[in-house]
Amino acid sequence: MDRKRTTPPPPNPNPSSPALLVTRAAASPSKAHMLAFHFLRALSRIHRVTPVRRRTRTIRRAAYSSMARAAGPRRAWSRALLGQARSRRARTLARRAVLVRRRVLTAAAPSSPAARGGGRFIAAGGETSAAAASRAALPPRQAGEPPRADALRRLVPGGDAMEYCSLLEETADYLRSLRAQVQLMQGLVDLFSCQ
Amino acid sequence: MSSRRSRSRQSGSSRITDEQISDLVSKLQDLLPEARLRNNDRMPSSRVLQETCNYIRSLHREVDDLSERLSELLATSDMSSAQAAIIRSLLM
Repeated sequence: MDRKRTTPPPPNPNPSSPALLVTRAAASPSKAHMLAFHFLRALSRIHRVTPVRRRTRTIRRAAYSSMARAAGPRRAWSRALLGQARSRRARTLARRAVLVRRRVLTAAAPSSPAARGGGRFIAAGGETSAAAASRAALPPRQAGEPPRADALRRLVPGGDAMEYCSLLEETADYLRSLRAQVQLMQGLVDLFSCQ
Repeated sequence: MSSRRSRSRQSGSSRITDEQISDLVSKLQDLLPEARLRNNDRMPSSRVLQETCNYIRSLHREVDDLSERLSELLATSDMSSAQAAIIRSLLM
């Protein structure tokens, strides 16, 4: 694939051109290009490798991962998302290793239900079990912080560990990136349906 | 609600004033979809937070929905020609 980073698109007078779906998606064209680059690369890999029944879940995870990669490590929410993805991969590998070992050892006996897929939970955009555990113990950061901020902390990845002021900033950035990601995916769906 | 002066004196480590916070809240309000319809009158911050939560939840649902549609479309459409079309459209 070409280096989309260094080739900004020329201004396109045709309003119905699909190139506009990228330039409209974000304020700066390079950021939208990064988003498209990461997501499309993930999509083509998913198309090649992933079995059909797991595709929706994998595509959704790839959406959040490519969003986080395009935003870079400067943002707390992108760091939180990438960390979640990394720990999920590590857990999957560890779980698979345990299952293989158990199957080899107890070849005759039926495996216990606890060994089978212990909680293959589908994490939504911002939540994991670790975040849920820390959520219960965390009091609001500031005295003047409204109670609604608690719900916001749950929605924004990494929101539990933030001060109220940073939470507002991160929420704005997360919201912009989410919107760009949704626009990108919508554009891709339109593109694919017109084939 | 405690006064502005006492709070900024109490929290010596964080110099975050109410004005900064209300500034951030109004920036969030501008991001909301309904902000474009209205006159950008200042909503109370609790309302802004609630609308932001709803908006984020609806965007999450859209991502789920679009992921499902994308997985269906990937299965049915011819990927190589679609890929070529996308790359062409992104570069032009």
